[in-house]
Parts: sequence; C-alpha cells; structure tokens
Amino acid sequence: MSPMKLCVPGDRLCSTDDCMPGTGVYLRHGYIYSSLAGYVLRKNEGEELPVISVVRETEAQLLPDVGAIVTCKVTSINPRFAKVHILYVGSTPLKDRFRGTIRKEDVRATEKDRVETYKSFRPGDIVLAKVISLGDVQSNYLLTTAENELGVVVAHSEAGAQMVPISWCEMQCPRTHAKEFRKVARVQPEYLQA
Amino acid sequence: MPTDTKRVRGPEVSQSPSLFLCKTAAKKSTASNDARVDGRQRGQVDVRSVFVRCGLISQAKGSAYIEAGNTKLICCVYGPRETERKDETDMKSGRLITDMRFAPFSCRERGSWIQGSDEKDLSLMLLESLRPGVCLQKYPRSQIEVNVMVLENDGAVLAHAVTCASMALADAGIEMYDLVLGCSIRQEGATYLIDPTFLEENGCNLASGSRENLGSLTVAFLPSLNQISGLQSDGEMGEDTLTGGVRTCIEGCFKLYPVIQQALSKAVRRKAPPSES
Amino acid sequence: MATVQVSEAEKVYILHGVRDDLRVDGRGCEDYRHMEIETEMVSNTDGSAKVTLGHTDVLVGVKAEMGKPRPMVPGEGYLEFFVDCSANATPEFEGRGGDELGMELSNTLYKVFNNRYSVDLKSLCISPGEHCWVLYVDVLLLQCDGNLFDAISVAIKAALFNTKIPKVHISEDEEGGKEIELSDDPYDCMRLNVENVPCIVTLCKVGHRHVVDATLQEKACSVASLIISVTRKGTVTCVRKVGGGSLDPESIFEMTETGKRVGKALHAPLMQLLQEEESLGKKRQKVGFLG
Repeated sequence: MSPMKLCVPGDRLCSTDDCMPGTGVYLRHGYIYSSLAGYVLRKNEGEELPVISVVRETEAQLLPDVGAIVTCKVTSINPRFAKVHILYVGSTPLKDRFRGTIRKEDVRATEKDRVETYKSFRPGDIVLAKVISLGDVQSNYLLTTAENELGVVVAHSEAGAQMVPISWCEMQCPRTHAKEFRKVARVQPEYLQA
Repeated sequence: MPTDTKRVRGPEVSQSPSLFLCKTAAKKSTASNDARVDGRQRGQVDVRSVFVRCGLISQAKGSAYIEAGNTKLICCVYGPRETERKDETDMKSGRLITDMRFAPFSCRERGSWIQGSDEKDLSLMLLESLRPGVCLQKYPRSQIEVNVMVLENDGAVLAHAVTCASMALADAGIEMYDLVLGCSIRQEGATYLIDPTFLEENGCNLASGSRENLGSLTVAFLPSLNQISGLQSDGEMGEDTLTGGVRTCIEGCFKLYPVIQQALSKAVRRKAPPSES
Repeated sequence: MATVQVSEAEKVYILHGVRDDLRVDGRGCEDYRHMEIETEMVSNTDGSAKVTLGHTDVLVGVKAEMGKPRPMVPGEGYLEFFVDCSANATPEFEGRGGDELGMELSNTLYKVFNNRYSVDLKSLCISPGEHCWVLYVDVLLLQCDGNLFDAISVAIKAALFNTKIPKVHISEDEEGGKEIELSDDPYDCMRLNVENVPCIVTLCKVGHRHVVDATLQEKACSVASLIISVTRKGTVTCVRKVGGGSLDPESIFEMTETGKRVGKALHAPLMQLLQEEESLGKKRQKVGFLG
C-alpha cells in the first residue's frame, strides 16, 4: 500500500464529487476538510463513492450519544432510579467518567409500574444499557435497559462470588446457592467475544 | 518586635533592579536603525524561528511545547469530560475552558502563583481566539480544558499561546475546523517589529523620533479558512497602520504554518507508524 | 453578559432588516440610539457622569487620590479602572456572576487608555517619584441593554471632563523636607484635558454587514463583534474582537474603517454638549436618576 497521507485540521482533502465524508472530516463549500490530525483513509465500498475519513492511532474521542450501547457500573440505587457511571461506549473505554441515570420506568419494557429498582440492580453491578437522552440541565445521561439484550451482565452475590444468571430476572450465587433478583441481560454472542 | 534604633533599616518595599534595565538598553540600541537586538531586521516579516513539539505530557489528552527565541510555553489539553458548571447552552455544544498562567519565574520580576487580572484577560483572549476553530457542537454536555503555562516570557506570549494551544488540541484529537495560529507585531512609527521580544514589546529600544503609531497588535488566524479569530491591539495607531499591521501578522502566521503542520504530522507518525495498513 | 433569547424567525427578520439597512427600531446601520448624558451626578466624587443609551444605563464616578507613582514612570500619575456589574442590571450578575464581565470590561479600559495621548498623565504628577494623583474610575452598570462598551467610554469621557482635582502646593523647608498643601479655595482646581480621550465604538457583525450600537436582540444574532476605540483625530487606541465567532480579514478592515468614521463623528457633538452643560453652571436643571 502507498504510504499513508498525513493531514492536520483544516487541510482540504478533496471535493464532495470525489468522495463521501466519513469521520474526522467536515464539509465546507463543497469540499471535504480534515478536522483531525491523522492519516487520510479512503475506503471503497461497492459502486458508491469512496468514503474518506481521517483516523488517529487511538479511537477518536467518543462521547455517549443517543442510541449508543454503553457499559456502566451501578453506583447507587434508590426507589426511583439507579445511578451509574458510564465506562464504555460500544467497545471503546472512556477516559473520563460520565454519570448516567436509569429511571425505574426504563428498567424493563413490560410491567413498568411493578418495577422495583433494588430487585433489578445492586451497586457494583456491571450493566449494559442504551442511551435514550443526553438529559437536560439538571439530569445526567438517561439510560434504559428495556430490551432483552440489556441489563445486568456481571453481578456479585452477598457472599462475594460472581453470580450466574438462571432466568431473565434471577441470578444465583455458586457458593451459597442463594438466589438474587436482577434485570438480567441475555448477552449476545458477539458481545461475549469482545 | 522591639525596634533597633541604632540600625539603619532598609526601605519596606524593594524593587528588582532589572526593572530599570530597560532604559539602559534603550541607549545602546540607537546605534543602528534597522537591525534588531537579535539580528533580525525591522519592517520585515521575520518571525523568530520556532521549535515545537507535541505530546510531551503523557497524562494529558494532548500537549504541546513551543519555543520562539526565549519565549517558552507549554500547553495541556484535558477532556472532553463531563461539565461541572451546567447551563442551558452546554447541552447542545461543548464548553471550552482556557487557563493561562505565568510561572512565577517567567518574567523579570517574580510573579505570584495566584492568577492576576492580566492572566485572566489573556485566558479570555485565548478562549475567544480558539473557540472559532474547535468543532464544539461535536462535544455536547462536555468540557474541554486548555491550560497554558508560560515558562519564560520574552514577548509575544499571547500569540504563541494561541499557536501552542491549537497544536495541543489537535494532538488531543479534538475535532477542529482549522489550526489557529497567532502572531504579534510591535508598531513603532512607520516601521514594525514582528514577533517582538519582551524588551521590544515594552518599548524599551524605541527608535528616536517615532512618537506616533506606537502600539502592539496580536492576531489569531485560521489559515485554511482565512478567518481572523482573535484581534487585540493597544497603543495608538492610525487606521491604515492598523490594517497594514493585521496584514503583516497574517503573513507572519503563514510563515509559521508549515512548521506547525510538520510538527503535528511528526507527532501522529510517532504515535502510530504508518506501516499498519 | 445579559442576553436575550431570540427565535429563529426573529433572527431572520433582524438579519434581513440589517441587510437592507433597516433595523428593528428604525435606525440605519451606523446610527446610535438616543443618548443622554448628565455630569456631576454624585457629590462625593471629584467627577461623575451618567450616560443613558437606549435602556443601557451607566454611572461613572472618578475619585482622585494621592498615591505613589509607579517606579517605571516616576513622572506620571495613573488611572485605575473598576467596573461593577451590580445585580441591579440583571439578576445574572448576582454574587460573583458579574465578575467575569466586569474583568473583561475593565481590562479593555486599561488597554484603551494605555497610550501617551489619551490622558495627560504628566499633569497628574505632584512630585516626581514621590507623589502623584491616582484617578480611580469606577463604573457602575445600572441597566444593561446592549452596547456597554460604548456607553461606558462616553460616560468615562464625560466624567473625566467633569473631574476637578484640587490644586496642591509643595513647599520645601531648609532641611529638604517637603510639605504638601492643599488649596483652601474649593474652586481652585485643576481640570483634565479630555480632548484626546477615546470613545469606544462596538461593531456587531450581523449577517454580511455590521451595525453600530447593537441592541441585545441584534447582539444575539451576531457571532462576533469588534471593539474599536477611536480618538478625536481618528487614531485607533485599541481594537479587540469579542464573541465566539471569527471574522474574515476584509470585513475587519471594513469594520475598522466604519469604526473610525463613526467614532470621529461622535467626539465633536459630545465635547460641545459637555461644554454647553458646563457653561450653564448652577442654572442647569438637574435631572438625576429619575429622568
């Protein structure tokens, strides 16, 4: 492959007639400009115009966005909501901690009024969730686990052992065989790989 | 404390002798008209050669160091992280926070660690110069922190701070519309000194007779978009002199541009050699 | 700064209006709002003035105090600026809310007056290296309705015009000890020459044009403005870009040109007005704060 071209923010890469804008670029007056310092990457995808992006060695700084699947850790619960720290967006770790909230109504899709937060999460649980809103001035990121694939993936029992899921709403401690309630996620195989 | 009446006590306040150095320097430099103390020529777009480097602080998301003559600055960028102070506008676009400080030993006179009002003013100017260059709407609900520390002040601090900060932002992988470059001049009558040193900036080696059009001008420029993002002048200048000064500064920025581009490319290459696909 | 929320439709209305040189309140692009100036408002100051520009209301008090000259310039007095953004103007300024704006305003004022022409600093010197007059210029914002810089600069010029510094006499005894005597006669005072005190013109870039003396609504439509301080002769003592946007070089040149023209035109009527008011003396009808 030819040596990859380097660019800095503000460099004009090409016209919009030649390429489609990807990530790390912006459009201005019909031209594509770089918005990052990195390597120029042209990707041909079928008969469409090639997609031009600028990539860096590390994944571009991701921020939790609406619709993104995030991995978070529960920090506290109360009857109305659970507070979490967002650790990963997709498979990218975040450098800084962002706080999120899972409200009682957003724990599961059915029987929303019967949800009890302490039967769904416990502090320290690792939870897969989806961002539904960036929140407003008072609130943090609002998250939901109202999908089969979302919910608790890792939890520890009161005895301290890592529990195994036994149903969508229960997990069992391998040491004491005590059952605890959780909103358990049915982890997709592709996530298990990662 | 009992006062010792037999002893002659010194004055309560003291001043550094270097404060008065300025005037003696003025007398010396009247000999030749066009040459400047450091060998550059007046009235020419002759910026000091700069040494720049990215990524020297490992903890920061991005960092840069710039050295122009004896002016030395270091800049760190942190974030984007969750905003501390929340208000309505932050929800749609991110917030840029700048903090510029002089190290106590950076100037001739020792400064204090507490940020003075001139440092706050420089921080504000830095913020206004950088903001048009950063794609802040890509970072909703978060803040990006830019910290500039002046290690040695030998003139044109704000201009170099702007350049250094934009490099650090680029190094941090913050999306930007363009690099922001800074340049300043010192106007002395019909002639100007580009990228002035501390002594030149404070009018110490004033050419005799130039009583009019005396002032300083700093411009922050987005070279690829051809936009001026920061402009500040003081002193007294005619309108045409000012216009000319702005043009000169833009020219100065273009001299700086390839150096900065090269340094950034080098930083990218160092982080990830181009071998991998 | 105190800001207003402007809807998209309002923005378009203002932008199109400015394009056709027609502003919401009927002014042209280079017109100021109605301005009212009154000097000698506060009796405890050495000079004071209140300027009302639209609904922007600024009160400036100048107090002269004796101080020590700066070591670098032993033969000159100096000016100190302080801008107080009180919570009167807008609740946003409550507590420390106005500090940032106050700092920005006062730092700009230092820059505006940082040259040897604006005020004759040598006349403020009493005895070189020992005593000088320090003029404390305190600005109080009473109401904010945009264009603070211009209103403040006009108010400062008026207040400095109004400033009366008592005359002092230095007598030296045989041993070289100096004594400062203050004149007994309250009318025996020194006046400042304010001919060269610059006025600030703020130009707001709205669409492709720029407007003078923008209201808050117009300011909300603009991304960047340029502050230009212009002297009577048309020289520029300070330029500064404020706001989050950027400007292309050509429009900066256009704006400086406009700023110079508008600023120059502002000085003559202002001086005339101040002199007229002065000549009325005690007969002048005082308006005060309720006017």
